[in-house]
Formats: sequence, C-alpha cells, structure tokens
Amino acid sequence: MSLGFPAAIAHLPESRQRALLAVGSFLLPILVWCMISYLPFLWHPKVMVEEPGGVGYFQAGMLIDHADFAEQARQMREQGLALPSGIPANPIYLPAPHLVAKAFYTGFTTPPQGRDGVWLHESLWHSIQIIFWGFVISSLFGVPLGILGGTYTVLGRLQEPFIEFFRYLPAPAFGALAVAVLGIYDGPKIAIIVIGTFFQQVLVIANTTRKLEITLIEAARTLGTRGARLITKVVLPGILPDLYRDQRILLGWAWTYLIVAELIGTSSGITWYITQQARYQHFENVYAAIIIIGIIGFGSDLLLARLGRRLFPWDRTQERK
Amino acid sequence: MTKSKTSSAMKRWLARALLPIAAAACSFAAQAAQPLKIGYSDWPGWVAWQVAIEKDWFKAAGVDVKFEWFDYSASMDAFAAGKIDAVTMTNGDALVTGSGGAKSVMLMLTDYSNGNDMIVAKPGIKSLAELKGKKVALEQGLVEHLLLLNGLKKAGLKESDVKLVNVKTNETPQTLTAADISAIGAWQPVSGEAMKAVPGSKPIYTSADEPGLIYDVLAANPASVKARRDEWIKVLKVWDKVVAYINDPKTQPDAVKIMAGKSGVSPAEYLPLLKGTKLLSLEEGKKVYVKGSGFDSLYGSTKTVNEFNVAAGVYKKAENVDAYLDPSFTNAK
Amino acid sequence: MDALPSYLDQSEAVRARFARIRQREVILEVRGLHKRYQSAQGETEALRDINFKVRRREFVCVIGPSGCGKSTLIRILAGLESHSAGDVLLDDKPVSGPGRDRGMVFQGYSLFPWLTVKKNVMFGPEISGFSHDSAEREARLWLDVVGLSKFADAYPHELSGGMRQRVAIARALVNQPRILLMDEPFGALDAQTRAKMQTHLLEIWRNLDITILFITHDLDEAIYLADRVLVLKAHPGEVQEVIEVPVPRPRLPGQFSSPEFRATKDRLEALIHPAEEDGDLSPALAEDSALQQHMIRFTDVADNVE
Repeated sequence: MSLGFPAAIAHLPESRQRALLAVGSFLLPILVWCMISYLPFLWHPKVMVEEPGGVGYFQAGMLIDHADFAEQARQMREQGLALPSGIPANPIYLPAPHLVAKAFYTGFTTPPQGRDGVWLHESLWHSIQIIFWGFVISSLFGVPLGILGGTYTVLGRLQEPFIEFFRYLPAPAFGALAVAVLGIYDGPKIAIIVIGTFFQQVLVIANTTRKLEITLIEAARTLGTRGARLITKVVLPGILPDLYRDQRILLGWAWTYLIVAELIGTSSGITWYITQQARYQHFENVYAAIIIIGIIGFGSDLLLARLGRRLFPWDRTQERK
Repeated sequence: MTKSKTSSAMKRWLARALLPIAAAACSFAAQAAQPLKIGYSDWPGWVAWQVAIEKDWFKAAGVDVKFEWFDYSASMDAFAAGKIDAVTMTNGDALVTGSGGAKSVMLMLTDYSNGNDMIVAKPGIKSLAELKGKKVALEQGLVEHLLLLNGLKKAGLKESDVKLVNVKTNETPQTLTAADISAIGAWQPVSGEAMKAVPGSKPIYTSADEPGLIYDVLAANPASVKARRDEWIKVLKVWDKVVAYINDPKTQPDAVKIMAGKSGVSPAEYLPLLKGTKLLSLEEGKKVYVKGSGFDSLYGSTKTVNEFNVAAGVYKKAENVDAYLDPSFTNAK
Repeated sequence: MDALPSYLDQSEAVRARFARIRQREVILEVRGLHKRYQSAQGETEALRDINFKVRRREFVCVIGPSGCGKSTLIRILAGLESHSAGDVLLDDKPVSGPGRDRGMVFQGYSLFPWLTVKKNVMFGPEISGFSHDSAEREARLWLDVVGLSKFADAYPHELSGGMRQRVAIARALVNQPRILLMDEPFGALDAQTRAKMQTHLLEIWRNLDITILFITHDLDEAIYLADRVLVLKAHPGEVQEVIEVPVPRPRLPGQFSSPEFRATKDRLEALIHPAEEDGDLSPALAEDSALQQHMIRFTDVADNVE
C-alpha cells in the first residue's frame, strides 16, 4: 500500500477497505457499461429502425449510422414519403447489461436442442475436464522436470535451451498434428493444453527452484542431508508455496489455451457455444459465456489462494497478494 | 465454400506436411466393424443430416452411422488425418484436401449454394461491370474469389480489371465500410452482416446467378468406399428422406426447428439461410452427376475449380478430377 | 592515561589456562591450506598456506578485513567448498564434504521456514535416523538449553532475529558435533541483541563439551569471546598473527575497558587497519579516502551544523 486511502474510507479497518476496493474494481467497469448502454446521449452511434417509412432498404430492427439515417429521412421529407423512425442504439457488439444478464440466465435454463444437444452446464463441465486433465498431465512431467532442472545445473542446462525454443512454437499450430495422432475427441484438445502449459511450466518452476535460498540447502547438508533427501526434505518444502503460486498462474494460462484447444476435433465445450453464437452475431450470449469463464477462472483462483493460506501458514507472501 | 472461417497458412502447411503420414498409418481394415464416421459442420446443406439423426432414420435403414460435429476446417483436418470415414465439404475443398494426400470420392451431392455466396457492392453500384478499376475485398483462393472471376467473365471483364484486396471473409463487413473499397465477397451470414454494416449496399452477383458454381458433397475415404459400398448406398437412401422432409411444407417447420437447434439460432433466423441453399435430392443429384463441361455438371464444376485452384496457387499441380468422381453411388438402385 | 601493557603480557592465571589448553587434544587441524579459483580476471588466490590447530573446548575467533577469505575458510571447514591444496583434519581424519561432526551456524537466517522451531531442531536427528520420539526428546532438551522451550511450536518468521539464531544454534548442537562453526552469526543483529547473544553463547560454551570456531569482523566481539584470535590479511588470505587473548575468564561486559582488552584491541586495529603505507593502497583504504576527500557540499556554506 504505497499511498494509503482516501479519507472517505480511511477510518475503516484495512481488511474492510480492501474488500470495498475489490467490489469497486468490478462495479466501476459495470457502471461505465451501464452508462454507455442506458444513457442515450452517451455514444449510441447507431439508430435502430422502428418504422422503415418510405426507405426501401430499411427494416425494423436494422442498425443504421446516424448520418445515413438523417440523410434518408431528409430524402423522404423532400419526396414527401413516410418518414422513418428509430431510436439511438449501440453497435451489435455492445449489448446492454440486462441483455447479457438475461442471456446468462437463459443460457443455463434453455434445455438442449435436439437429441445430441447438451446443456450449457454440461458444455462447461466438459471444458473444465479438458483443462483439468491437460493441466494434470502437464504438471505430472513439468513439475518434476522443473524442480530437477532448477536443482541440478547440468540437467537444467541440458533441457532448457530446447524448451526455450519449443515454448515459442504456438500450441495451436499443433492442432492438426494432434488430431492425426490422438483422434478427434478430447485427446487432441488436452494435448494442446499440455503443449501450451508444459514448456512454460518447466521453465517457471526451474526458475522458482533456483530462487530457493542456497543457505537452506547448505544448512541441511551440514546437518547430514544428502542426495535425493535434499530434494524431498529441503528443496520441495522450501519452494512449495512458490510452486503453488506458480501453478495457480499456470492454471490461468491453461485456461487461455482452452478456446484454441476446443476448436480442434469435434466441436464441444464452451468454445463451441461461443464460436457458434458469435457466428450468428448473438453477442449477448458471447459476453455471457466469456463472463462465465471469467467467473470460473477467477473463482477457482480465489479458492486456491485461500487454500494456499491454510496450506502454508509459514509463508507470509501468500497473505497479501 | 469455406463455410467457416479461419484457415491460417501455418495450419494448412502443417496439415499438408504431416497429415498424409499419419493418415497412411491408419488402416481402414481394422475399422470395418465400427460405425461409419461422418464429419459435418454448420452449413444448411449439411446440418440437414441432423433431421435423419434425430429421427433415427439410419437405424431404420439398417446402417450404423456416427455423425461427428466439427468446425468446418477442423472437419477436413480430421478427414485428412484419417480419423473419420467421410466428411461434408465443397467439391473444391475436396480437391484441396486431396492435394495434401487425403484423396476422397464424392459419393453424392448435398446441395449447391443458391444465393448464400455473394459479391456485395456499395450503394450506387448496380452491376459487376461498374466495378472496373475499383477495389474489391475478399479472401483470395476461396469460393468468393471464384464467384467474382466467374461473374467478371460473364460481364466481359478480366481479373486484372479490378483491384483485389485480400481480407479474411469474417472481416469483410468492416472492410466494406472503408472509403476506397467498392465491394466485398462473402457468404451468409457474413454477407448479411456486411449489408447491415453499409446501409444501402446490395448483392450485385450471387451464387444464385450461377447455380452449381460450387457444389457441396459428401466425400468419403476411397478405402472405405471400396470396403463398405453397401453401407454407403444405404446412407444415401436416407438422404432422399431428409430432402423430402425439409422440402415438404407440412414438415418443413419441424425440420427447420431441428436444424436451427443444431446451429444454436432461432428457426426464424435460420429459414433465410436454408432458402439460400438448394438441397439436391438423389434424383436431382443424378442430373448433376453427369459428364459435362458447364456448371450444371459436377464434372464441369470440379474441373473449373481445379483450374482455379492451380491458377490461384492453392496447389501447384492439377488434381486428377476423375479419381474424385464416382456417380455409381448416386445412381445405385 | 596510563600506558597500556603489551597485548603479549599475560597474567599468571591466564598463562596457566593457556598451558592447560595446550595439553588438550587437537580437534581441528588445518595444514598448508590453499584455495585458488578461476575468475574472469584470471586465477585468484583466496587463501594461502593456512595453518592452525583448534583444541578441545577452545573458543577461536577468526578476524580479518573484508576479502581476506574468512568466510571461504569456514565454508571449506564445513565441507561446503573444496580447497586446492592442504589438509583439513578433524580428530586427525581428513574431512570431505559436509558432515554431522561439524555443526554450522550461518549469518543469514538459515532456519527452514516451513518447519516449526521444534521441527527445525529435530531435522538433524531425524535425517540421521532417530525415531520421531527420540528426535523430539533431543529437540526439547536443546531448545531448553537455548531457552526457547516456550516457542517450540512457533514458526521462524514469528521469532526475533536473536531468537532465530538461538534456534539455529540449538539445531546445530543437537547433532552433538565435535566443533561448532559460526560464520558471523550475530552480524545482522542490533547492538543490544548482539551483546545478549554473546553472553548467551559464552554461557552455552562454558556448560557444554563444545569447541567453537567463530568468524567475525567485530574486534570487540572477537576479544570478548575468544581464547585465541586468528588474524587474517587480505589478497591473498594469509594468517597474519594468532593472538592469545590476555583478558581473564570469566568474561564480563565490564572488561571492555580493561587494559588487557584495550591493548589487544589496539593490536588488532593495527593489524587490520594498518597506517597507510606508501603507494600500496588496499581497495578498502582507497574507498575510505575517496569518501573523505571528495564529498561535495550540498548546503549553504553559512548553514553549518557543527
């Protein structure tokens, strides 16, 4: 906290101030969004046609630029034809909050269409499983390799140049290859998450391991610790809080690969929902789905952060992040 | 008709380079007992299959079929990798996929675009001839490019008479708003969005003006075609039922409801898209699946696309068109 | 002011005590120790021909200017660094690598932050195969010795700096090493805590069968604690002199002003901060003179604080 709080909330305890600001950080953008959506004099660069009047190509519900609308209205007036009417509107890609909220609700309450359709929550659950397995598989190899590479210089120097190279290769580029090798269902999707996560994971965790205070290892050695026990008794517990934090960040990265991963093979998960709705310009549904992903990602990270504080009572950096 | 959407050069390159190897590794003999796997994607002529799926018509026909729902380009990737037996695509894309090594046989026609693909021009421009010396934005090498060339030829112009600007089809609506762009090429629903973006802009040339410029087909792996001929013929019989159900005014609302449900839009939104697509019954298909050089023949259309693809640099060496064409399934009694 | 006695003058009692110490067996012997390493500037000689012996229950301090290699020396003794030539003998046997026979206390807080105070102390016994119960018994005993029984279940970050170093001492002692190596253990503490810790350490040393080799750069600390002070000089690190501290035991804070204490300190000062010799500026001295001569005045000349 570098500069303290404004006077209005300065008298509150720090935890309350923090909570208030956290709520505010969400409320502010929502407020801006509401203002732009509901105050007709703010922005609203389009006119939504209500009555086409005499204009040939106008249709009810069409979005027209202000200038074009005015021009057409002028022409109609000159020709003595029926005037078009319309109300100020925002572009189609900025739906109002209540529309998104409604889409959010109806998304979950609309039963699946057709026999092979799925509920939105089933799509979501499918996506979460893709993330989960991708992350678990990546961690299964990435965490040990990272720790070993960070502990033993030789191993680190042996693996890191290649991994540094590989991590620049865009994971989505492996999509077609993943389908060829792993089939059309979840295999290639999980593989993309793994490819997107693994290489970063090894490097990040090796780096974290390197940052462990060397004195701790030396102290353990003078106390008689050798070999593998240095890793299990000192390195691992020593880096655990940071490793946990790294994993939380990496899990966030894994989520960012979800959308490209799910475009591969059969259409499934939340990505299918988003791309399909975007194709037909149902942006309120797209926003709703994006917000759902945000809630799941942010929510799970909050939970993990809270869990971290319980798991690592000695680690003071977990408390204030 | 690259119905969807993004085809990055990198992806294509990788697919070309790697997939034939993987495909060769997959033996079809081992899959004989498994259901026929067909990849389909979001285009009215293909979503039509959904009617048969929902109504259990394949079971009734005694054939074990599993439809897998894909993004269009992902469906061709899966086919190229040998992971599915057949895929719905355009005859042009069948050649493109085949040029990478994954050859296919076009078993039947599903439909042709009947107005869904279009060249949209700004207000005031009423014909292709007026585009002379102006800028036209479209995704080069794709079907709208072909559509434009076809139209220009009819209007007595050459490709060099217009200035082509290469943009992604999805970005054409914004592109049309630019001052120096006179027209764009896109398919529905993107073309519709472009017309909304520039009020007063109109389609000046569409696929309805040249029916059969591009055909949509069900193309299958040659090995599967040979090994499981009888089953494929049964699949085709089901198609007739589908087309009849969709075209019959009594059952059309139910069919549209099923198809719209699969695409995730309302039936009202879906109906215009269906109208821009001419579904072909087997009987109608037979008439197209005859030798000829015009666009009323699948042979003629495919030959034209082949030449176009080579000219546009999509692939270097012309494909052997005859190897892709086999009317015997469509004609089977 | 009276003229100080020579630091070499020892009272009868002190002389007798040193005679007794010399009768004891040698715990640690360093013979002809060299340390060279390759750096960007070529080969650097960190330690040259170090020879000394430490006898049982002796308290030896090593002191020297920065860069004299005193930390390198103790790390070689602990087995954390290799040496280029010579021998390190513990009970006449050469040492290689770290071992439980040499306990080490570091300047930084080297406690394991994920373990409670008690578990930190139990670390050594558990590694060497003690059962959990006996390790815990040992840990409680040694925590009692350093007076931290009440904090057995606290985490290191909840303790003050002085308390942490007491835990570190307990953690090293629980292994019952032959010698306790301490690398400027009180260097990061404030003056008051440091004085307390010095007294506390002497208390422990008096009551245990333990030999201590203690690195410091604080002259008062060295004289207050040590039987003998090993003075190193820098570039390369060499033994300049081994001084037998003439201050009688038991040591008390009052002795800081005693003539023996001051005489010894004067000698150490002379050895470590010699008067400037012609042209041969050590880097440390060069730094001093730079500070003194080139200070620019940033205030108004009239605004004099002195």
